[in-house]
Amino acid sequence: MGLLTTLKSSVSRATSSLFAGEETKRIGIYGPPNAGKTTLANRIARDWTGDAVGPESHVPHETRRARRKENVEIKRNGKSVTIDVVDTPGVTTKVDYTEFLEHDIEKEDAVRRSREATEGVAEAMHWLREDVDGVIYVLDAAEDPFTQVNTMLVGIVESQDLPVLIFANKIDLEEANVQRVANAFPQHETVPLSALEGENMDEVYDKIAEYFG
Amino acid sequence: MPHQCTGCGRTFSDGSKEMLSGCPDCGGNTFQFRPADPSSGGPGDAESAAQTDATQTETGDPPGGSPSRPETDTSSVAETVGRATTKVRDLVSSDPTGTEPDADTEWPDDWGSQPTSSNPSVSSGKRDAERNAADRDGIIDADARRETPEDSEPKESAAQASARTDVVSPDELRSDPDTPDTPDPDTPDTPDTPDPDTPDTSTPDTSEFDSLDPVPEEAERPDGETETKGERPETETEAERPETSAQNARDAPAPASGEIVSEPTDEDPDLAELREQLNDQFESIKIIEPGQYELNLMELYDREEYIIALQENGRYVIQVPEQWIGDDPEGR
Repeated sequence: MGLLTTLKSSVSRATSSLFAGEETKRIGIYGPPNAGKTTLANRIARDWTGDAVGPESHVPHETRRARRKENVEIKRNGKSVTIDVVDTPGVTTKVDYTEFLEHDIEKEDAVRRSREATEGVAEAMHWLREDVDGVIYVLDAAEDPFTQVNTMLVGIVESQDLPVLIFANKIDLEEANVQRVANAFPQHETVPLSALEGENMDEVYDKIAEYFG
Repeated sequence: MPHQCTGCGRTFSDGSKEMLSGCPDCGGNTFQFRPADPSSGGPGDAESAAQTDATQTETGDPPGGSPSRPETDTSSVAETVGRATTKVRDLVSSDPTGTEPDADTEWPDDWGSQPTSSNPSVSSGKRDAERNAADRDGIIDADARRETPEDSEPKESAAQASARTDVVSPDELRSDPDTPDTPDPDTPDTPDTPDPDTPDTSTPDTSEFDSLDPVPEEAERPDGETETKGERPETETEAERPETSAQNARDAPAPASGEIVSEPTDEDPDLAELREQLNDQFESIKIIEPGQYELNLMELYDREEYIIALQENGRYVIQVPEQWIGDDPEGR
């Protein structure tokens, strides 16, 4: 089963790269809820294709299904890198509808969101196993990076030998602490940015081209 | 809370891995929890549990007990256990040892609350059947006590103690204070029994118990007991009772037959806690209540099949890899 799945996946990848004319890397944007994954995905997609990936929100778990933006061609230093950007639901170990109630969402809707978010996490984890060639791990630089979820996910990515970049997002916030993020994952390169404000995006694209090209 | 295939209705016990590759019977990949959720597990649930319980006792089918008992949620399991224990107590209170006061000192608290809530609804049908049979077999005192279980605490406690000895392991018996055993030799207490019919009829029983009870390592004493009493319906019910009572009796280990899903191994058999431990072994998504989930990321990651849709009322769809190959519309 696993073999077939892998085979199928690689066949489809080969097919898609045939049509794309070059190998397209599928880059998963992972991270805890509300780290700014969708904002980053939208920023990348808008910068290079003009389209957005999905709606952004302050409400956690706004992204409850993995969304893909295919064939995002990033040109750096005369070199072109084509990636599929996969914006994934925030990964967490607990989903509680009461969390949504604080955002003026009715209980029924909150329960539904909660259910969808849980499915989203399952989907994100499945994608991580089967469908991504590289990972951008997005963290809110204003939050403590030493969490179980972060450690576990980065550990999984490492065990897969996937290229990974740590993005310390939200550096526009006063309380952002990029160094704390860098210290949490010293084995990986940490790139500071504000996806919302578009700060330091040049370095972001440089690194993407470098790591995933 | 086991799983049920929504296609063919086959149930899988809590912790079953069979369903992870689709339903073995119909190949379906949609399952639901039974019953729906803890919040709905109110009185109606308990009622159904009682019916289930009564059915079990009437049919006297111990293997049938295993799939049906886990269907109750935690609270109703507790109630079922409480009822079953009450039955055990009522039954065993026919044992003249029930009047032994020593046991009373050890088990006074358990019986004040449980019988009041559960006993009235226990199993009137069963009771009738037993009464008829009991009349024939001359153990009518058992039924008499069954009618008035709450007001006779000494007997109840002794019954509890007796129930403990029924399922207790030899080790337990050795280490425990001999309160459960000491009652047995004191069988001449039978005159205490409220029923006037008893003295003559119960005497043969007590003599039989005398021969049986002092043997402490006889863990399956109920069987021996039933043999002596012949074909009365209680023999059937007893098959399940010691086990359910084991959940309630604090330090009684699970029986060898292990019908219950979560075997109480420690001193406080908190079913919810045990269920949690069991779930932790393999569940990738734990539905605490609708809208509240706990996720085991490593399990989600490690798993080839994955949950693609959690639905209302605890239903969910798991994606089975074989089916994914053919059905994946995205052609990934």
